[in-house]
Amino acid sequence: MPSENSIKVMPKAVVCEESNLRGDITFSAGCVVHPSATVFAEAGPIIIGENCILEEYTTIAHRLQVGARWDANNILSIGTHNVFEVGCTVEATRIGDKNVFESKCYVGPGVTVPSGCVIGAGIRMHTAQLLPENTIVYGQQALQREAIEKQGSQTLQIDFLRKVLPNYHHLRKPNHDPKKARSVV
Amino acid sequence: MSFMQPSPVKYACSCGILNPINKLFFCRHCPKLRCGFCVCHEIESHFCSNCLENIPSSEARHKKNCCANCFDCPCCQHTLSARAANVPVVRKTEEIKDGESKESPSGAATPPAPGSSKPSAIPTTKKIYYLSCLSCRWTTRDVGIPDQGVASGTWPDNECLYQARFNTLVDYYQSIVLQEKQEKMEFLRRKAPKQHKFPSLTDRTGLTVSLIRRQIGWHDKSIPKTKAISITPAEVTADVGGLPEDIFTEPLNLRNITTIAQRHGQPGDQPTAVSNLYPQRRSLWIKRSLRCRQCEHNLIKPEYHPTSIKYRIQLFASYHVPEVLMVRCEQPLQPGKSNAILLKFSNPTMYDMTIRILSALPPEEELITSEAFQQACKINEEAVTSSPLVRAIGLTLSRQNSTREVKRDVEDVSNAEIVPLESEFVLSQRDDSKEFDEDVQLPTEEPKFIVWRKGNKVLIRLQFTPAADLPPNTDVVMGFFMQYTYVNTVSNASEKKEPTTNALHSRIFINAGATEKAD
Repeated sequence: MPSENSIKVMPKAVVCEESNLRGDITFSAGCVVHPSATVFAEAGPIIIGENCILEEYTTIAHRLQVGARWDANNILSIGTHNVFEVGCTVEATRIGDKNVFESKCYVGPGVTVPSGCVIGAGIRMHTAQLLPENTIVYGQQALQREAIEKQGSQTLQIDFLRKVLPNYHHLRKPNHDPKKARSVV
Repeated sequence: MSFMQPSPVKYACSCGILNPINKLFFCRHCPKLRCGFCVCHEIESHFCSNCLENIPSSEARHKKNCCANCFDCPCCQHTLSARAANVPVVRKTEEIKDGESKESPSGAATPPAPGSSKPSAIPTTKKIYYLSCLSCRWTTRDVGIPDQGVASGTWPDNECLYQARFNTLVDYYQSIVLQEKQEKMEFLRRKAPKQHKFPSLTDRTGLTVSLIRRQIGWHDKSIPKTKAISITPAEVTADVGGLPEDIFTEPLNLRNITTIAQRHGQPGDQPTAVSNLYPQRRSLWIKRSLRCRQCEHNLIKPEYHPTSIKYRIQLFASYHVPEVLMVRCEQPLQPGKSNAILLKFSNPTMYDMTIRILSALPPEEELITSEAFQQACKINEEAVTSSPLVRAIGLTLSRQNSTREVKRDVEDVSNAEIVPLESEFVLSQRDDSKEFDEDVQLPTEEPKFIVWRKGNKVLIRLQFTPAADLPPNTDVVMGFFMQYTYVNTVSNASEKKEPTTNALHSRIFINAGATEKAD
């Protein structure tokens, strides 16, 4: 893990200052990060796609395997329109688009979450596995079913949070402009 | 102390079953302990636990004990909730003009519709509703049920394939029941001829009405018998159809197959495919009233309204019978070794109680007094029920008749010998305001087994000896009879209003814990 944090916040992303960010993390445009959310890039950079919501006490971790070292090419990429609800812990190897991680769920290392999945409240997934697309895991017995209907979009919620959060919290300034970066190169 | 744990102190109910005090009831009229096993359970009211609507029993029967508005998720059996969504509706040009004429007087601030040239450009939305499960995210759209314009009431019922057959079967059995009832009535009528006040002539001569009618040549005047509806009987078939061809070749997708719980949740058709799941009407809940089987008095009667959790009649044992709490044993339990246990008694009633701890059944004469009291209660009972009004109600109510109480022996599970207390002691009445009193009670002359006393609570020390032949790690259970004076405030008799005091007995078993290995 590099000694210095490198946090890139794209314009229009709302990242609260009270969040706990470590390592090389990129927040794409439209992301909302609540206070006390934790993102922990230990094994490699984390890139969070557009319009993701990280609610309070969320932990997203890219942990080191035993004996492994920081590798800048080992990127944990998180797709767009994902929702991480209050208190969830996600250590998945790859996360696609439009997933919902409900409150207090745990997704362990080695789990690949494609698109349109819902990990229900309190579900604990420890085994390395590849979930099929549009899977819903729910209930005490962690039953799985396939969603036929697409999950509703979170744009209204994101717009609301983007309006409300700056009123009550200090935000990290957007420090990375993709256009400018390209012009520099 | 024993919150969410099985209580070590068990009371023997009058039916012989051991229960903790919080599961027992106390019939003030008998006066005896009753448990859920030996009382009559009656349905007080039906209600839906989701919308808290009270549903009369006839309506509940008509609706097959289901709520009309609430649905359960067929996938995870949670309650479905209605979600609203806006869908854009493309209006026809005529409607657009109407819309414009309405909008124009509302204010000049609204910008002129840009799409006046293009009529379809004005977005109008319509609210539609669908049912969705908040637990597993199942929606009615998943199985292709069309969205509704109203939030509740318009959801279609799923008629299963066998509905028609099922209805004819129901009709058939109902007609059979009717027929049997009629036959029984007929039989009773013939068996017991009507007793007239004056003996009629026909009774003596042996001429009956039907005989006379037959002699005159009229046909018999009898009610035409109802015939059972003819029904096509079910046919036995050996041909159940073969398995589909691809069952051995195609990989099985378990996500499309319903679970056992899902099939049982939809008993009408028991679908095997997930695509056939259908929202199920939510089952109604009931409020229950409990009635003593011996004296037919209500022990528990809840308030009628579903939102209320209070009772109109609540004869819980913990309001009338002194509560015994096990505090601790003085020494580790060892077989054959004398020990002492600390027990806390508390008096829940507004009257002082005198308590005796006995190791054997109390002397006979006291039993007789309680029996006599019971008899008195019963006689008063009869006086009440024999009034014509009550009798008329009693006829309409198909109430379970009072049964004669069968005396059942309590199984003696104790394996320790107690030393009965040398004297009785008094538990003073419950006084909530006394809890806050600061003044110290004057030390009074107390029997030496009383360790501590405050308000309506007394801590006593009871000596006992576990049986000598107990193997290690077995629970030591001691049993004793608690005799307590109970002041009965129920005045059935009109002549004496004063509460009567009776000595009642409860048999109590205490599980003191497991024995330890002797050193």
